[in-house]
Amino acid sequence: MATIRIEREGGEVTGGSPEESYVRAGQREILFGLYDDEVKLLDAVRAANDAHLDIDDVYTPFPVHGLDPLLGLEESRLHIAGFIFGTIGCLVGFGFMTWVFTRDWPIIFGGKPYWSVPAFIPITFELTVLFSAVGMVTVFYIINGLGPGAEPRRLHDRITDDKFCIAFDVTELGTSEVDRLRDYFDRTGVETVHQKTVAA
Amino acid sequence: METFVFSSRAKITTLSMMGVGLLCLLITFFADGGEGHHMRFWTNFLHNSVFFVGIAAIAGFALAAFTTAYAGWFVQFKRVWESFGTFLLPGLFLLGVIMVGLFTHGHHLYHWNDDAAVASDAILEHKSSFLNKYWYTFGTIGFVGFWYFMIGKMRNISIAEDLDDRDNEFTYYKRYKKYAAIFLPIFGFTSAAMIWQWIMSIDSHWYSTMFAWYASASLFVAMTALTIMLLIYLKSRGYFPGVNEEHFHDLGKYLFAISIFWTYVWFSQFMLIWYANVGEETIYFRERMQNYPVLFWTNLGLNFLLPFFVLMRNDTKRKMGTLFFASALVFFGHWLDFFSMIKPGARLSLIEMTEHAGGHAEGEEHAEMGAAHAEEDEFGHDQHAEGHDADETAALAQGEVVSEGDNLQDPAGRNEDAIDNENIHFDASEEEEGVPVANEFRGGPPDTRMGGIDELASATDRTDADVFEPNHFIQEENIGDDEMLGHLEAAGGHSEALSVLGFKSGYTLPGLLEIGTFIGFLGGFLFFVLSKLSTARMEPKHDPYLEESLHHHT
Repeated sequence: MATIRIEREGGEVTGGSPEESYVRAGQREILFGLYDDEVKLLDAVRAANDAHLDIDDVYTPFPVHGLDPLLGLEESRLHIAGFIFGTIGCLVGFGFMTWVFTRDWPIIFGGKPYWSVPAFIPITFELTVLFSAVGMVTVFYIINGLGPGAEPRRLHDRITDDKFCIAFDVTELGTSEVDRLRDYFDRTGVETVHQKTVAA
Repeated sequence: METFVFSSRAKITTLSMMGVGLLCLLITFFADGGEGHHMRFWTNFLHNSVFFVGIAAIAGFALAAFTTAYAGWFVQFKRVWESFGTFLLPGLFLLGVIMVGLFTHGHHLYHWNDDAAVASDAILEHKSSFLNKYWYTFGTIGFVGFWYFMIGKMRNISIAEDLDDRDNEFTYYKRYKKYAAIFLPIFGFTSAAMIWQWIMSIDSHWYSTMFAWYASASLFVAMTALTIMLLIYLKSRGYFPGVNEEHFHDLGKYLFAISIFWTYVWFSQFMLIWYANVGEETIYFRERMQNYPVLFWTNLGLNFLLPFFVLMRNDTKRKMGTLFFASALVFFGHWLDFFSMIKPGARLSLIEMTEHAGGHAEGEEHAEMGAAHAEEDEFGHDQHAEGHDADETAALAQGEVVSEGDNLQDPAGRNEDAIDNENIHFDASEEEEGVPVANEFRGGPPDTRMGGIDELASATDRTDADVFEPNHFIQEENIGDDEMLGHLEAAGGHSEALSVLGFKSGYTLPGLLEIGTFIGFLGGFLFFVLSKLSTARMEPKHDPYLEESLHHHT
């Protein structure tokens, strides 16, 4: 059976006993395995689905095609926010220029009328894109608790580099169930298995 | 099913479509007799020929572009595009008819083919080294022939790959790619040249460097839409089991993206011309916005707003129903786009020719134009003819006055409404406190405009009448495009174009005959494509990218 590397504050303890629980209130105990390519990862996720194991989350360094449907994730609704912000940007851009050039400071450019719509279109377009992009990023940050000053929460450094991770929440699981997970990791060709206590 | 079987039912359907088209062409030819120079027939013929030849050529372009980009997703249905490309051969015959017409003067589609007109027209004279029947012949035969050769060659290589069961991995693919890479740059230049010749030169004084992009984008969208509809049909017949919603999603994305690209190019062309406000150029859009408003705005609505809002969502691109619906409308929309590129210019040529033939005598003119064209009489050549609409006379009279350099004189027939408008505009802006005010200048000749603006700088204390006296160019009833009304005399012999053209079926909007002709050509195209499709395997089984195409994920 694969050795579990238990990570605690103050360093990694190799070969510790997984039964020892340091979990306090507001914390979770995560058991995760690292794979070295996405094909193995996809096979492992399929195997977990077949064995009815409850995957907590999967972390990959880049988007993996076909992973979302396997995990049963719904389509992101972020683009709805994008549409709404884009509409706002479109109206703001067009409305602002209309106000400036017909009410606030009407000036003739090149013999064109004050309200010369074709000249407004490029800027309206730019503002649509700008509002949509900035709005989507902001919404994304808020939903995911990211942004400046946010504490980075990553299970393992190499998940952002070249490793693919499947994580299980083992806080409330007994020894036999954890053994079942270790067995599962062995079967699916895992590289290393880790255990870590994280904030809930 | 490995090979497509062209069922007798499909044959009968496409053949009867062709029958309808032929009937409509004949009716158009005979209904619009000698006095109309068969213009309606010829424009319909040119319109549909160029549209479907363009779709065939762009399908070859898509194949070549995707192959050189190492794309694999489309490989399953690449035989469909290869079959599209082979339509260039019948297309060459269709365009050959137009070409023969140039030499025999059987049609008057192109103003530059009229030797007398070219001799007396500096602009046409200047362009005559490119716009002449020999170049037209060379381009049509040489370039279309070259496209056909290259696409046919690619198709043959792909079929040879199918038949060769040895383990040949990339041998054929590399040869295919070589032809694709040679085809691409040459197609880029030659297609632009041919679009100028075939379509843009109908408005023979006008030119736009964006035009080739605009027309190609239009053709690419139409080609994608037709591919989607044909694939949905073939799938419903049980072919292409491997083509699933992932492939349709990608085709839908192309439909969406190229529609936006088309809008971008369309608008770039429009805005540059609108902003520069040079009469030779604005005449093109002025004509379409004033006399063909329904066509003009439908074009934008159908080809931009509809695909933009319908195809924006993810799921509309993955469902056959919505995708088919959007494709059908967009396909028709781009056919309409080509309609609006061709018809207004051809109608002006028609009017011009009628005048030349009829001289200046009004009686003859009436006879020439026929009773059906009665509503167009108002812009007969003789500007001082009796019975002209008062406003029209005023506008034309002003044009004359200015061209004689007599800017300050208020012409006799000046329109009262125009003066009123001017004052209202001025008063309204006068009320803005402290802001230098100006009238809305509407494209007079440059010298007049400049004079007006110079005066403005020091004229805030003058009365309206003093300041705006020189501006005679306000015309009543301008539908939002008044700012781009070109110089009256700079329209390159189209001075009569400033009048309002009445509704004329087959020009203002497509009539039933146009729709019938369209159906006929579509039937011909499909008949040819489907019979080509039945001569080879549907899936290129040895293509190195077939696996990727079968397991394609968007």
